[in-house]
Order: sequence, then C-alpha cells, then structure tokens
Amino acid sequence: MTTARSSRVRTGRLLAALVGSLLLATAAGAKEDLEARVREIAAGLRCPVCQNLSVAESPSEMAREMRSLIADQLAAGTSPDEIRAYFVSKYGEWILLAPTARGFGLLLWVLPGLGAAAGLGGAAWVLRRWARRGATPPAPADAAALARVRAMVEEEASALTPEGARLVEGLRELEFDHRAGKLSDHDYEELRAVYETRAALALAAQDEPRRSAPAEGTTETPRAERAARAPAFRAWRWVAAALFLVGFGAAIGFFLPQSVRLRDGGSITGGLLTGTGNAALPLESRDLPALLDQGRRAMEAQDLGRALRLFQRALEVDPEHPAARAYLGLILLRGGHPDRALSEFDRALALEPKLTQALWGKGLVLYEIPGKTGEAIRTWEVLLAQDLSREDRDHVGSVLAQARQRLKQETKAAQKASR
Amino acid sequence: MKPWARLLIVFGVVTPLVGFLAYGFTRDPREIPSPLIGRPAPPFTLPLFDGGTMKLEDLRGKVVFVNFWASWCPPCRAEARLLEASWRRHRGEEVVFLGINMQDREEPARAFLREFDITYANGIDAGNRIAIGYGIWGIPETFLIDRNGRITYKHIGALDAELIHAKIEEARQGVVSGREGKGDYRSIQ
Repeated sequence: MTTARSSRVRTGRLLAALVGSLLLATAAGAKEDLEARVREIAAGLRCPVCQNLSVAESPSEMAREMRSLIADQLAAGTSPDEIRAYFVSKYGEWILLAPTARGFGLLLWVLPGLGAAAGLGGAAWVLRRWARRGATPPAPADAAALARVRAMVEEEASALTPEGARLVEGLRELEFDHRAGKLSDHDYEELRAVYETRAALALAAQDEPRRSAPAEGTTETPRAERAARAPAFRAWRWVAAALFLVGFGAAIGFFLPQSVRLRDGGSITGGLLTGTGNAALPLESRDLPALLDQGRRAMEAQDLGRALRLFQRALEVDPEHPAARAYLGLILLRGGHPDRALSEFDRALALEPKLTQALWGKGLVLYEIPGKTGEAIRTWEVLLAQDLSREDRDHVGSVLAQARQRLKQETKAAQKASR
Repeated sequence: MKPWARLLIVFGVVTPLVGFLAYGFTRDPREIPSPLIGRPAPPFTLPLFDGGTMKLEDLRGKVVFVNFWASWCPPCRAEARLLEASWRRHRGEEVVFLGINMQDREEPARAFLREFDITYANGIDAGNRIAIGYGIWGIPETFLIDRNGRITYKHIGALDAELIHAKIEEARQGVVSGREGKGDYRSIQ
C-alpha cells in the first residue's frame, strides 16, 4: 500500500515536473521567437540617428526604443507589415532599408540591373572586337618585304619610320624573350608572324606612301591610312582625358570642402584614423596658455561644458585676462545668457578695448536686443577696423550688411509710427 | 565609330554620374524629410514635471507649439530664453506651448527649466515613444499644430523670434508650410 501510494506520488511529481518544464520551454521558445521576429523587422529599418546602420544593429538609445516598440506591437498582435507602415508614416520611405518597388523606388531597383547588363554587354562587345582584331590572320605580305624585315632585325637598320623602328625593336625583344625562355615556341612563332607582317606592311607603306590605288593592296591602304591618322586620335583622347580630369578635380575640390566638416574633437575623422584625441589637460593646471588653447579647442568641438570649466579656471589663475573673459562671454551667450555674456564682454573690453572676440560677442548680444541695432553696428564697425583673417572679415561684413538693412527697416517703421 | 561619337558617349555617361555624385555631396546625410506636415498630429499623453498629465486631444481648438528638447543640447539652451519670451507674449491667445524633454535625466532637465525660468508646460517622454511618433532624428525639433489638430510646420534646430511668431500666426490661420525649417541642431543617440 505504502509503496503503491508513494509510487503514485512520485509519478504525480514527475508529471508535474514534466508539464512545468514543458511550459517553461514553450515560454522560452515564444520569447526567442518574438526576439527573432523583432530582429527581422528591425533589420529592414534604417536607424534614424545613425549612418548606414539598421535598427537591429544600432546600439543607440533611439534604436533600442524602436526595437522595444516593435516587440510591444508584435505582442499586441500587430502584423509586421502594419509595424513597418507605422514607421514609414513617421519617417517616410527613408526608414526602409530596401525601398518599395514603386515610383522612384522602382528606379533604384531597376537601374543597377540595367547598369550591370549594359556594362557586361559593353564589355562583351569590346572583348569581341579585340579578339577579332587579334585573330585576323596577318594579311599576306610579299616575301621580299618579309625578308627585308628579317634582315633589319638581324642588323642595325636605319631610315625607318618610327613605327617601323618600333616593330623591329619589338621583334628583337621577342627573340630575346624567347631565348631567355620566357616565351613558348608556339607563342613565339605566332607573335613573330604577326609582328613581321606588320613591319613588312609598314615598310611597304613607307616605300610607296602615295600608292593608294584600290586595285592593289586593299588590305594595305586602310592600314596605312589608319596609321597616319593615329596620332590625331591620340591627341583627341588625351585632350578628353585631361578635360575630364580637370572637371572631376574641380568638382571634388569644390564640393568636398563644403561637405567635410570638423567632427567632435576638432578632427575630420574624430580621431578615428589616427587614434589621437585632444590630450586632456587637468583642470587644476596653472598653465594659462595651455588652458586657453584647450578651451578654444573644446569650444570648436562644441564641448561647451569643458570649455566653460577651462576658461573659468584660466580666470581663477588670472582674473584680469581679457581673452578668457571674452571666451567666457561667448560661452554664456551660446548657453542662452546674453545679459551675463554682455557684462563679461564689457569687462574684457575695459581691459583691452580692441579685443576682437569681445567686440564680436558684444555686437551679437546688442543685435538681439530690440532697439540696439545701431549700437551693434557701431561695435562691429570697430571690429572690422581690427586685423582680421579674410574669412572673418567677410563674415563680419555680411552680418554688418544684414544689420544695416534691419536698422533701415526699423527707422522706417519708427517714422511711420511717429506719423 | 567616329572619335567624336565615342567622346560624346563617354561624356554622356560620365557627366551625369559626376553630377549625381556632386549633388550627393551637397546634401546633409542625416536629414530625414518628414511625412507628417499637413497630417493630423499623432496623439499623445505627456506626464508633466509638476505632476499631472497633458493630453494633446484636450488641446483641440488651440494652436499648439510642441518643442522637443534636452538639457545637454546647446541649441536647445540657445533658444530656451526665446521660447519662454514667445510664450509670455502669446499666452492667453489660445496658444499652448508644450516642451517635451527626451534623452535626458530628470535632475538636469529640472535644473534647465529653473535656469531659464520656464513657465510653459513641460514633461518627460520616457522611452522616446512620443519622439518616435513624431519622427524625431535631431534635437531640438519643433512642431506647430493648428486648431484642428493638424501639423502645419516642422523645424529642426534652434528657432529665432521672428520665425516663431510668423509660424504661430500661420498655424492660427491654418496655413501649412511647404518646407521644413532648419537651424543649428544636434544629433540624438
């Protein structure tokens, strides 16, 4: 009895364990399945905050949220197509890594195929032409001319056209290669026959340059003509290639500087290629020039927080440093505190009345205050009288022109109002 | 084939290719044109910093100025004062300003609101769901929604005062801008 009961209990436990593990397995399977489905959808979506990464691959926060959104939607029973349509409605067709084959998207699908077909077709055509040209059996040349060619190869010949000399030289090299064992007997025979015939024909053309009677040497005359026209061809080709290169260079030179800009860290590649970032200076440093230099760099790299700390440190070292004051003002201005920025600029200008950074910043602050456009213009005019780089001068000039335009409008409006 | 014909073919193929390449260089590769302009604004419920929530549907009949921001983003700081000033100028004219904080931590976000003394409603978009719903790819981004709940304008990057007033006026009249605006912006993560 007891054994029977205990065995029943055991079976019951076993069954429970089995069912439990089965349930767990299916749950784990479902989870894996969901992940796989999320990955499948995410792999077809472009990450909007990355470049050339899918939502599945990107480690960014935005992509992570998108994946969790997809998982939620799938769990809620939304179909993959509906989820994709949702993202398209938010980000446009842009979000799809593979554009739909409609409208402009169709062009993207078809063009590479067409291009490949055209390229392959063109290559096949050109190859066939070359093959045919190579395979044309050497046109029959008369035996006397051939003999002359052989004699020329053997001894130093003179009074040859450049082309003839070239062919003879080629024949000599051919023979040399053959002796050196670089050419098989068969190849040597074949190539020699071709070169010799050509040389003989060139010789014939040289001997009778004006004999272009169609009755004789139908194969010779066109060749001779082509030979005469060849330099003209080449000149054309060179001109075309040169023009293309110049155009290409100009296009690259014009557009590349416009599209390449400084990334964080002050380098175009962001230190990716060189592995060099800015060697960080400890903030406790008392090295004033280094602090200022690093601060300027941090500003260029848009790291305003670090720039702020560096310039504040510089001012702790030397509270009367005008450039540090001016930079602090520029940072405050960028940080949305024009009033505090203005007082920094004024302090800097009290120390050094012609400080360019302070003049520029002060003008910017004044320009944003209604009714102070005139003052801004005067400040910038002082700035323009300083020693500036050409680029800065142009920039200040254009801003100044804009400010003058605004002042004119303001005075006009004021006149209207007073009337 | 005549030499000039060959030349013509080469130029005919190469010139468009180079042109296409050159055009590509002039484009911002990050830019994503929004399909939302002129469409109904995606609904959302925003938990606010001061407790409570704001539902977009409840703002029907008013012009809504929605600004996505983060405390770490310099252009957001640059425009913060301006947005608050514009809000103070337009409040009471059936215009609602709404700030949506994203990809940020609560503490610096609250400090930002204090720093610029911002009085219009602000909330946190945890999980970026609202941001995804609006197709956000940079920061700050601003949307204007007219009385009928339709998006009339989208701007990426910092705004200037004249543009804000002009676009609020357009939204009030239900005018949909054909083009998106662009200013200084930062990439988000």
